[in-house]
Amino acid sequence: MKQWLTNFLTHRRDLVQSLIVLAILFTFAVIFSPRTRGEYTYNLFGLSCTVEHWPIFLKIENLTDLLRANSPVAIIALGMTFVILTGGIDLSVGSTIALSAVVCATLLVEQQTSMATAMIASMVAGGLVGLVNGGLIALLRIQPFIITLATMIGIRGLARLVVNNEQIGLVGGQSDSAIHFAHIMSQKSVVIGAFLLLAIAFGLLLWGTVLGRYVRAMGDNARAAQYAGLPTRRVLAAVYTLTGLLAGVAGVFTCARTNNGNPNEGIAAELSVIAVVVIGGTSLAGGRGSVTGTVIGALVIAILTNILGLNNVDANVQSMIMALVIILAVVAQTISLGAVTRWWRQWRGSTTN
Amino acid sequence: MNAPRPGHGYDEVMTPSGQPLLTARGVSKHFGGVVALDDVSLDVFGGEVHALMGENGAGKSTLGKVLAGALPPTAARLTIDGKPVSIRNPLDAQRLGVTIIFQELDLFAHLSIAENIAIGNLRYQERFAVSYRAMAQFARPALSRVGLSELSPHTPVHSLSVAQQQLVAIARALSMNARVIVFDESTSALTDEAVERLFAVIDQLRRDGVACLYVTHKMDEVFRICDRITVLRDGRYVGTRPAKQTDMAELVRMMIGHDVRSDAHAAACATDRPLLSINNLRTAGLRDVSLQVAAGEVVGLAGLVGAGRGEVGRALFGLDPILGGQMTLKGQPYRPHTPRQAMKRGVALLPRDRKAEGLMMQMSVRENASIAVLDSLNNLGWIRRRREAQQTDHVGRQTRLKAAAPQAVVSSLSGGNQQKVLIGRWLLREADLYFLDDPTRGVDIGAKEDIYAIIEDLARRGKAVLMVSSELPELLRCCDRVVVLNEGRVAADFDARRTTQEQVLTHATSAAAGHARPQAG
Amino acid sequence: MQRGLITAAVLAVSLCLVGCGKTESGNAPAGASGEQAAKYLVIFSQCNNAEPYRAEQNKQFAAAFARYPQVVFVITDGQADAAKQISQIENAIQRQPDLLIVAPLERNSLTAVMGKAMEAGIPTICLERDIAQPNYTTFISCDNVEIGRMAGRFIVEQLTKKNGSPKGRVVELTGMKGVKAAGDRHDGAYEILDKYPEIETVFSGTGNWFQNEAMTRMEEAYNATEGRIDVVYGHNDPMAYGAYLVVKEKNPELAKQVIFVGVDGLPDEGQEYVRKGYLSATFIYPLCVDKAVEVGMKILEDKDFKPKTTYILPSAAVTPETLAAKTD
Repeated sequence: MKQWLTNFLTHRRDLVQSLIVLAILFTFAVIFSPRTRGEYTYNLFGLSCTVEHWPIFLKIENLTDLLRANSPVAIIALGMTFVILTGGIDLSVGSTIALSAVVCATLLVEQQTSMATAMIASMVAGGLVGLVNGGLIALLRIQPFIITLATMIGIRGLARLVVNNEQIGLVGGQSDSAIHFAHIMSQKSVVIGAFLLLAIAFGLLLWGTVLGRYVRAMGDNARAAQYAGLPTRRVLAAVYTLTGLLAGVAGVFTCARTNNGNPNEGIAAELSVIAVVVIGGTSLAGGRGSVTGTVIGALVIAILTNILGLNNVDANVQSMIMALVIILAVVAQTISLGAVTRWWRQWRGSTTN
Repeated sequence: MNAPRPGHGYDEVMTPSGQPLLTARGVSKHFGGVVALDDVSLDVFGGEVHALMGENGAGKSTLGKVLAGALPPTAARLTIDGKPVSIRNPLDAQRLGVTIIFQELDLFAHLSIAENIAIGNLRYQERFAVSYRAMAQFARPALSRVGLSELSPHTPVHSLSVAQQQLVAIARALSMNARVIVFDESTSALTDEAVERLFAVIDQLRRDGVACLYVTHKMDEVFRICDRITVLRDGRYVGTRPAKQTDMAELVRMMIGHDVRSDAHAAACATDRPLLSINNLRTAGLRDVSLQVAAGEVVGLAGLVGAGRGEVGRALFGLDPILGGQMTLKGQPYRPHTPRQAMKRGVALLPRDRKAEGLMMQMSVRENASIAVLDSLNNLGWIRRRREAQQTDHVGRQTRLKAAAPQAVVSSLSGGNQQKVLIGRWLLREADLYFLDDPTRGVDIGAKEDIYAIIEDLARRGKAVLMVSSELPELLRCCDRVVVLNEGRVAADFDARRTTQEQVLTHATSAAAGHARPQAG
Repeated sequence: MQRGLITAAVLAVSLCLVGCGKTESGNAPAGASGEQAAKYLVIFSQCNNAEPYRAEQNKQFAAAFARYPQVVFVITDGQADAAKQISQIENAIQRQPDLLIVAPLERNSLTAVMGKAMEAGIPTICLERDIAQPNYTTFISCDNVEIGRMAGRFIVEQLTKKNGSPKGRVVELTGMKGVKAAGDRHDGAYEILDKYPEIETVFSGTGNWFQNEAMTRMEEAYNATEGRIDVVYGHNDPMAYGAYLVVKEKNPELAKQVIFVGVDGLPDEGQEYVRKGYLSATFIYPLCVDKAVEVGMKILEDKDFKPKTTYILPSAAVTPETLAAKTD
């Protein structure tokens, strides 16, 4: 156990530093959270405990709220981590959310299909977008930025075309399966559970599989990967398809939560996704990063938005604080802990003398 | 504290008279917890070529970079013309007339020669608008000093050969009025011919009173052009010797503490079973190449840069499209389109540039070693970690790899050990034909011997080896045969035991082989 | 070779799409009347098709002009890009239409090009958004500040009914900051609400017009206030509806008591939410279609007709009562 801990502290310095940022932010959130007016009773695993003037931020209800609200972006960020690890980028995920959401709503409401059919079709639609991205990038060898910029525009158009610029409300129609779908797929346990399961799956995929190893190798040194005979095209196709699939999943959850298939859903979502990945310590240059980091990044964004919201901070000020935290989080990963302690000792030395 | 005091163990004997141009005392450099330089001292005089020698990791490059402001020192007391100075960055260094010519040249590939010389040059005053003519005017004197006056200053740098690019870098240094120029392993990427040209330029610089600090680990060069030699070991100062009063044996002892054998030859395991035969091969870089390699045979490829040595490997490994000719591998026709296809047929390529083409620098030793054999360690998509560890540990022992741990990041290793990891990757793959493109490039003496042993072992196990090297003695030592390439054609084919460096060089450099000149580009 | 083939394939597919797109989006006259019978060309420069409000507007325009066989009606889509809308209007001027209707994306950037249309002698109707100079024949709009006031009055009235006097706790979910409609809808409402010191705004969050974002803001508002909310005022219906969904999930009983107010009142969006009982009221932001068609046809057919420079259309509240009155 001790061995493992020292290993972790020395080899996963970036993760340790992300965790420190998260812990600091969490502490801030608790301190600055508004308090409950009266008593608050915790009910955790059958144990209950009553406290007065408890920070609202720490209420189970609030914590699960913020997790659910951020799950769609966090889910896509899992796939985006792989994409960015290969040295690529996927700008089309926001449009893919919209496509998946409108496909899901259209099937449920207008085609009266079953819940499973609609969900699978939406995810397949997302996966297909990813496959097109990955296929074009691998075969044409054009920068991912350009290809996915193009599909971002094109898929947004397709999503609007599917529903003829309108929104498809799930509860407006007469479809029982639509109402059923909206009810089940917006449950906190379902959404947060799906995120956790996917996070574990993608963590294992990166850590333990051949694909994960290839992804890191390609991002580290694309030319060396080619010279070592890696199946680079297949890896690219797989990575973008997975991300598209996850965007499809996010679209399904968004559709259920809003009771609505909105072709304008997810505008600029790709930027939030990339921010999550970057805060998690994944380098845009490729080769360096982890799924754990991305999960931490998602938590950082989620907690920050929530605590600013609970204090009803002005939206424009929120944006500025968000910018600051993104920069701080990334800077925190680049400074070495050794340098900080040395600086601290020096500073203390100079003040005591 | 400012009074100069003798450095730690510094040899005051046998120094030229007069005031040193640059003195360095107590230079230390720490990278995190790693001590790269520990209290090193050095005097450099105007008009001398001063060699900085040592094995890889001895700190010689680090010292050069610190003096040129490319790395800020942890501690240092420097004087120039006797006045104390501080060099914290390249701009400081430029103002004081110190520049460095990097091993990996820091030129802007897509800019012209003149732009490269003018950019960031404090002596070139940019007016409101960029004047290309003024820039060319500015560049010309420096270019003619390095013998590049025949080139137009508007030529983009990427169209030049490596040797020419290096001369451009020197011209840039001269145009900055450099009085101290640090050459960091400048000949490691050059052919013998280009080395001669570089030496001529350095000789001229010496006569002009420039102090040249020549960082290298090549013995023969040191005795050819250097006046004094300072040896570092493990980041510490070992000693300074005038070149005329020392010899190779003493320097080697100073560098590593023991002699190396230099009269060895290949093990002669060649069989009469032909493994690879190439007939009239033509690619973008090859005009007409035919050669045979038998199982157990080590064949060296000699020639100048651009003669097509590496291109043979690129064709064999499916990296360059084959435009004409045939290849036969183990009796079967062979025409690979991708490295994967080549690997499936039992061909392995050790690339020339291990950082750019070989290693994933942020990944661990183990991950780098196993990356080419993951398909055999694949269990329903999962990596069989235990088997991976067994195999990579075994190959680590086989190559005498010295690494802190198999989980250590490969970039933390010395050049020689990095190369061993890369060789280990292909040993794991168990190919039949190994193409080794300059396997000892930038590798220290001890690791070189280990690599020679690996090559010998491959031959003994009946593998065919094709080997490129820029160092002729190495080819003659390791190979059964040496094939000399010249402008994309085979110029000669020698038995390595019965030929001499002069013979090989003649065939490599003579344009009189009856071929047309290569077309430009 | 392979690369060439793929490029060719991509090109072919995109050309096919162009073909499909043409047949889809041709807004030529409905029915078999065809071009022969048509006397007038009417071009409508829409700023962005991809908004529910705009989509509804397009639909109603097409349906309204379809009643006049002598009119060929064409819609161009500015795709939320001012430069694109400008060049589309420039193209329209070249076609010399008998009437140009513009729903400008931005106040300042479209002023000049609409001036050009006027110089070319084309009667021009400006819809909803005022431009910097009166470069139009007539301007038909609705006043967002007035809508805000109506919503404010409604809120005061409902709070009085609920709490006995005008007091209570309000959550505001605003549209995108920096957009005029959001500012006007806020200003109008607070002109009224600020008169009552006991009406307290406990939370004001930005949903950027999106239901999804508004739901996250509403969760924060609910948690921060521990559910002590009387009114939610959303600057559009989807945001108000999203707020309703959040409160309903957290406390179905409370959702019945909270007054959810939206704006826009599209027939199958806001009005539907009121009918279903999700929203207490929505305030119609008129599509201006009927008035535009009425005035436009007069301009086309009656040479002596002089339209007013501005028509401000009244909003209307949609509440369960008005809906009941309609069906009766």
